[in-house]
Amino acid sequence: MPSAIALESVWKRYGSRTIIHDLSFTVEKGEIVGFLGPNGAGKTTTMRMIAGFTTATSGQVTVAGYDMTTQNAEAARQIGYLPERPPLYDTLDVSAYLRFVARVKGVPRPAIPTELERVTTACGLEAVFRREIYKLSKGYRQRVGLAQALLGTPAVLLLDEPTIGLDPGQIQETREVIRSFGEVHAVLLSTHILPEVTLICRRVAIINHGRLLAIDSPSGLQRAVEQTNRVALQVTAPAQALREELLSVDGVRALEVRSAPGDDSVLSVECLVDARDGVEAAIARAVANRWDLHRLERHQPTLENIFLHYVSETSPSEPPPGMAPAEPALDCRRGPRRPPPSLPQDPAAPAEPALEQGVDSRERRGAK
Amino acid sequence: MSGMLAVCQKELSTYFRSPIAYFVIAVFMVGTGYFFTYNIFLTGNATMAETFLNMGILLLLVIPAVSMRLFSGEYGAGTMELLLTLPLKPWQVVLGKYLGAVAILLLMTAATLIDLVPLYLFGNPETTTILSGYIGFVLLGMACLAVGQFFSALTQNQIVAALLTVSVLLGFWFVHNLQSFQTSYALRGLFRHLSFSLHFGAFIQGLVRSEAVMLYLVVCAIALTLNASYLQWRR
Repeated sequence: MPSAIALESVWKRYGSRTIIHDLSFTVEKGEIVGFLGPNGAGKTTTMRMIAGFTTATSGQVTVAGYDMTTQNAEAARQIGYLPERPPLYDTLDVSAYLRFVARVKGVPRPAIPTELERVTTACGLEAVFRREIYKLSKGYRQRVGLAQALLGTPAVLLLDEPTIGLDPGQIQETREVIRSFGEVHAVLLSTHILPEVTLICRRVAIINHGRLLAIDSPSGLQRAVEQTNRVALQVTAPAQALREELLSVDGVRALEVRSAPGDDSVLSVECLVDARDGVEAAIARAVANRWDLHRLERHQPTLENIFLHYVSETSPSEPPPGMAPAEPALDCRRGPRRPPPSLPQDPAAPAEPALEQGVDSRERRGAK
Repeated sequence: MSGMLAVCQKELSTYFRSPIAYFVIAVFMVGTGYFFTYNIFLTGNATMAETFLNMGILLLLVIPAVSMRLFSGEYGAGTMELLLTLPLKPWQVVLGKYLGAVAILLLMTAATLIDLVPLYLFGNPETTTILSGYIGFVLLGMACLAVGQFFSALTQNQIVAALLTVSVLLGFWFVHNLQSFQTSYALRGLFRHLSFSLHFGAFIQGLVRSEAVMLYLVVCAIALTLNASYLQWRR
């Protein structure tokens, strides 16, 4: 049984610029894989190569066992693809548009009305079924694009930022649609919204500068990053003595001592510790023996931290160890850079991390 | 096959849901109507010859308006990404679009049939000559559309596509004029054979010549093949 999506050492070059470096991963049937990366990392290019819009310079892309370059037509039948910008014909109405896509996808004529009804209900398009597409709001346009991708029940669903432009209610519904689809089919979902990934994806692929940095389940990634955990504590103690005491604890690698905001007598300490059990207990014992320990907590890396960990590790000038830079690493600041996308305002999740900004500020810091 | 027809149908509904089709057909009817009455009153002969020639030139200017959006519009709207990832081969996209555009051409042509009503009412025209003129007109239009569609595939900008098409079509129309500057027999022959207007003139006179039919069809075939290979190459 071939993988639903399989990439084998795929490279993509445009002229002298290498967009994708030796990318390999698979997506199996019945799983949703989140595809993460800052803008310009190569997510959309990868999606396009899997969808067959562009071809890989070298390497092999197969979808449901069909090679994208030699068996394009068979492979295309297995794919539902929602590009970054929904590909809509403004002058057509929603029903005419969906009918066109259904016909091209080879849905038998008698089955077309039921198929249209299925995707219209799934994407909540009943109210605009007869409306011309240019009259639709951004959220509806996005959902027409998704409906188009779902037509014909493809084995593989490629979604490039599917929930952008939707309101919180619609985001919920759309995630539900994707989740139920992903139970039986394969879904590759690129997104900027990290909680979305933790919510619906079984595995996460992180990509930056065209290189795959990690692919694992969210918890697996957490463990991988956990080699350097953070322990934060608040203590009433003399700074110098505390520093010496903490550094003598086995497992503490580095620390930073500040006075706690609003109370000069309390020190706020951040320790970088080895990721193994018992370190925080040792710290607690060492501190509580001599001084007042007010608070101690271990910070589990969130997906945001994991993401930043991987992405900042591969700054353009230093490729990750083990990956020899075949050619000068791509500096995405030099290339045509899109303006930062306006991230969806999602009041339900106000703390949604804006990847774009996080990465940008890191790059700036690195550039100094 | 069904994919190609679906593309063709989509093109037609796009034409008729936007003002293009109505506008182009209306302009063409007004233009030919004007030339028809003018020529009839000027010559007093019950013939379409002069009118056909004027229709030919008018066609060179109207065709780009039909063909310019065929691919440029798709690039602009981002829908090329849909067309090329659906289970469609490039030639299916190209032929489907082309057939849609040809349908508009046929409608335009059919609309001019109204001029024949007074011609037959008040005169005694030669039916076969008129028929051959129409055959030539449709073939000319098909060649022009194929050229226009190819240029539309080359650029995102519809205006650029239209201007490129007009200039190339005018080149094909007037290329026989270059004959007078050539001493080489082969070049003179080449320019004569490539001329859209000389061949169209033969049709107008009632001559359906195989070399004329071939020229138009070969231009169609080359332009459409280039079009499909370009789409394949762009991937």
